[in-house]
Amino acid sequence: MAKTKGTIKFVFWTAVSVGLFYYASLSYTSGQMASWYYYKAKTDGYAVHSAYFKKANKENPAILQIGKFDKIEGLQAVEVKKGDRLPINTDGIIDQKVLKEGKRAVLEGESIKVMVPIQIKESKGFKYKDSFKHKGVQTNPWSGAWNVVMVLSIGLALGLMAEGFTDIMGLKLSKIVHDH
Amino acid sequence: MFDFIIAGIEAPWMLLVLTGATVGMVGGFIGVGGGYMVTPALIVFGFPGYMASGIDMTHIAGKSVVATVRHRQLGNIDWVLGMAMVGGTMLGVEQGVRLLGLTKNWGLSGIILLTTSVVVMIGLFLYTQLETQAANKKADQMAKDGIKVGREVMTSKVPAFFQRISLYPIVRCRTARVIISMWVIVLVGAITGVLAGFLGVGGGFVRVPALIYIVGASTHIAVGTDLLEIVVSGGYGALRHSMMGNVDFVAVLFMIVGAMFGAQFGSIATSYVRGPAIRYILSYSLILATVGAFLRLAYMLTGSKYEFLSFFAVVFTLGEMFFLCFFIMSLVLFAVRYQKGKSVPDWIPSLVVKN
Repeated sequence: MAKTKGTIKFVFWTAVSVGLFYYASLSYTSGQMASWYYYKAKTDGYAVHSAYFKKANKENPAILQIGKFDKIEGLQAVEVKKGDRLPINTDGIIDQKVLKEGKRAVLEGESIKVMVPIQIKESKGFKYKDSFKHKGVQTNPWSGAWNVVMVLSIGLALGLMAEGFTDIMGLKLSKIVHDH
Repeated sequence: MFDFIIAGIEAPWMLLVLTGATVGMVGGFIGVGGGYMVTPALIVFGFPGYMASGIDMTHIAGKSVVATVRHRQLGNIDWVLGMAMVGGTMLGVEQGVRLLGLTKNWGLSGIILLTTSVVVMIGLFLYTQLETQAANKKADQMAKDGIKVGREVMTSKVPAFFQRISLYPIVRCRTARVIISMWVIVLVGAITGVLAGFLGVGGGFVRVPALIYIVGASTHIAVGTDLLEIVVSGGYGALRHSMMGNVDFVAVLFMIVGAMFGAQFGSIATSYVRGPAIRYILSYSLILATVGAFLRLAYMLTGSKYEFLSFFAVVFTLGEMFFLCFFIMSLVLFAVRYQKGKSVPDWIPSLVVKN
């Protein structure tokens, strides 16, 4: 009887777990997760895709063409104001302040010259690469709720699935007597 | 290697699964989230610092659900105690984050942060070690005198002091077998919350000893109840991090797959051991994490000149996970041998249960 119950529990929660993982991977592959993440501009500047110019340096700077593109492809940049929806394939914003400073990137007519796409910074004793990626990007706040609901649901489904599995295997797990 | 589009890096997905499994096992056994181990690991794998914290916190929320489900089955959760603590913890975490902001304004956050964590962890390590050794001796003596040794053996007199405080309302925690003022529980939650918020971790490594040595819960109950608490505080932390854009959810998925196996093993392993065994592992995890934090502190205080300090800090932090997993697996193995009447080292009988 216990094994039958365990089997039902295991099969049901395995199906739920698989469904949740499938839905999460679908959200990822369809680009839904990325569009939630790279949602709006948090600052005034230029939306870019930093991976295209990550190898630029002072000797060989990258020149980004400014325009009104719906999707950023290659060395392109789109001017955005705070609160604007980001063009597809944006992964960061070059802030107006950075352009005014002119140390890492500078505005030159209808283009942006990027000299220092990546700099080394330090946090909590760890060095890390600081690039334009994720800079000035506002995430859709609802995606936060989605993340939490998904992770808690997956945790619950996996936990109950494992409980069903141990029931099938006949592993006796009874309540511990706390006798202190 | 897997291309994490949101994090913008390529990282070995197998290592994420392995990290999830090891931290899941340790977390399920000693009742901590394991943030102090996972965040450095993720940074080593190439994730930016802010993403490492966010991914870690989100995976901790999910992993804690997995472990909580199992601890519920084992009867290790006191729901009243857990829920009473949540409010205090939330309040404390917010104050801790503000305190961190203050030290940031002074330009000292990194050094103050690491110094605080080193001092807190060394203090907890020493107290837990001394108390647990005394508890072990007591268990040995009880066995010699022919007295049945229970699941929990504790020598600390501190809980009795706090349980005597008769400030209304008094809470009866039936599973933990503790009657205590609600204010003590809230205060414990608040203080551990401040530390958690300030240090940027889940706070389990402070809360579990606090539940044992201040509230007076048995070690198993402290572990299970803390994990329940982490589900709430971790869920809140995950929400905050996700809204701030610090989470690549795919990395969380890889980690949670590993955590499912690890957390199961860790949680079930608690049923093979007595309280002091869990406290031993908790104290070792504290001292190993302290060595890592101390090396990072030395690295920062020397103006980041000596790269080997940073390197060894990472080695210690990552090595800790494997050492603790090995320790837990060994304990279970010896417990099974002991239950079957086979020979085990002399130090094992006082740490494991007979059946």
